[in-house]
Amino acid sequence: MNTSLNRHRNIIDFALSSLLRRKMKNFSLLALYTLIVFVIASLLFFVHALKREATLLLADAPDMVVQRLMAGRHDLIPVAYAEKIRSLPGVSTVTPRLWGYYYDPVFGANYTLTVPPKPTVEPGNILVGAEVSRNQRVSEGDMVAFRTAAHVPLLLTVKGIYPAASNLVAADLIIMSAEDFQAMFDLPKAHATDLAVTVANPRELATVATKIVEAFPDARPILKSEMLRTYDSIFDWRGGMMVVILSAAVLSFVIFAWDKATGLSAEERREIGILKSIGWETADVLYLKLWEGIVISLSAFLLGGLLAYGHVFFFSASLFEHALKGWAVLYPRFKLVPTVDSYHLAVLFFLTVLPYTTATIVPAWLAATADPDAAMRS
Amino acid sequence: MTVIELSHVTKSFNVGKSNQFTAVDDVSLAIEPGRLTILKGPSGSGKTTLLSLIGCMSRPSSGRIRLRGVRTAFLPAEETEAGFDISSLPERFLTEIRRTTFGFIFQQFNLVRGVSVLENIMLPAYPTTESHAAFQARARELLRLFDISRHASSRVEWLSGGELQRVAIARALINDPAVIIADEPTAHLDSKLSREFMEIVATFKAQGKTVLIASHDPIAYDSHLADRVVEMRDGRTTADWPHP
Repeated sequence: MNTSLNRHRNIIDFALSSLLRRKMKNFSLLALYTLIVFVIASLLFFVHALKREATLLLADAPDMVVQRLMAGRHDLIPVAYAEKIRSLPGVSTVTPRLWGYYYDPVFGANYTLTVPPKPTVEPGNILVGAEVSRNQRVSEGDMVAFRTAAHVPLLLTVKGIYPAASNLVAADLIIMSAEDFQAMFDLPKAHATDLAVTVANPRELATVATKIVEAFPDARPILKSEMLRTYDSIFDWRGGMMVVILSAAVLSFVIFAWDKATGLSAEERREIGILKSIGWETADVLYLKLWEGIVISLSAFLLGGLLAYGHVFFFSASLFEHALKGWAVLYPRFKLVPTVDSYHLAVLFFLTVLPYTTATIVPAWLAATADPDAAMRS
Repeated sequence: MTVIELSHVTKSFNVGKSNQFTAVDDVSLAIEPGRLTILKGPSGSGKTTLLSLIGCMSRPSSGRIRLRGVRTAFLPAEETEAGFDISSLPERFLTEIRRTTFGFIFQQFNLVRGVSVLENIMLPAYPTTESHAAFQARARELLRLFDISRHASSRVEWLSGGELQRVAIARALINDPAVIIADEPTAHLDSKLSREFMEIVATFKAQGKTVLIASHDPIAYDSHLADRVVEMRDGRTTADWPHP
């Protein structure tokens, strides 16, 4: 049956055999293109997954954290502040929190020590993150010796190890009892690191914060939204570092596309002239070149995207890990939860497939608008 | 039957510039259907330009070219039977006429390197609404007709001059055109192959096709097959006589 669909099918058919006759050139083109898409897609997937983890992490964070400032620095806050803040209208709960950092000179690693609001471990016991257990070479039931502020060893028993899946949050984490925490840092009993405050009506957060500052001029309330912004900027900072890599990748793509755009060979021009002289319209030639461009760019987009997905979500972005993950000696080994933003995919598509296809079409269009009788004179 | 009428056709290049020149100058000609017309003349006499004007590859600077009996999708059948002017048609329409009405055999063969003989033959049929299977079957039939079936999947650059000529002829016939236009078809062939080409032209005539050949080769213009020889010089027709 004669249909206009046949015309497109026929042109696609010729586009494929046209690509296959320059196997080496087109396969190397595809490989390079796939590599660029792979790098860009890996970066986009990685940043997005990290941001998502951070958002999930802060979902359980308190509405507000109240710290005490001393000479512009974070200082311990008296637990007595909690009682007065609790009595402010609109405040639901106030929980004193104990947390801090511990540097282990033997293993050269920083750990995050925290005391859960509800007692989870008995004094003398701890729960540790998978990386701490690996770093200290301890397993459940083993004893770990920490050095207290008075340089006295404190022996604690490992009661549990967080699974590796929670590594982004728990890699360097040690959970201990309030008694052990106070003993370790020689902390005054009536003091906490900060106060976690929850407010029934989120609209009253700013008012409650103002009232806290009025009641305690040395207090510094930090809202959850401010924490989210800080986390966002931390990850964006990392994203910013990646933007450098990203711009390098995009730049190399532009050079590559430009090379392609200006690289219509004399042989290709001659072919376009022949096609025009034997009855191909300018539009037919453009369809042919469009399909050639689409086959290369879409294959590279899909292949590069799939490889990047595997790299980030199944191989934990192993190529970027040392540059982009963790900030201490303990590089968390974790698998990010597979998540892909359709916006990012669209950005990737518009950054790669469209410019390349355009770069293929424009020189072909210039050549295809030549008079068909040029072939008669060649 | 297709008839081509040229009336005071002139084709100039680089108009308004210092290097302006007129390749075809005030040519009037009527090409009769089913006949072999030879355009004879030295290089630069305007033969190729005239062929490209007749074959809808370019438009005349002045004058009119009318086609009669050509089937097109853009004009009703009554109008095409009565004849219509192609001198000022948009490129799209000219391309359609070129694809459906004319089959071209170029001096340099103009085959696409790197693709197979079969695909080269099918090239003019790709941008049509016909199914791939249908025109592939026709291409294979043409391969058999010209005895080049064994080369179907070979690349054209591996073929000899005579084989290339036959591939170019097969390609010109793929859309079953009413008019065959050949520009210096024997220029790169030895005498034996040139005579073979003229034998193929005889089959075109037998099928009722109109054939137009531009040539300064005596094997072509002295051939008993020629119904008419139009001599050209400096863009003008200097003699026009039925072949004895």
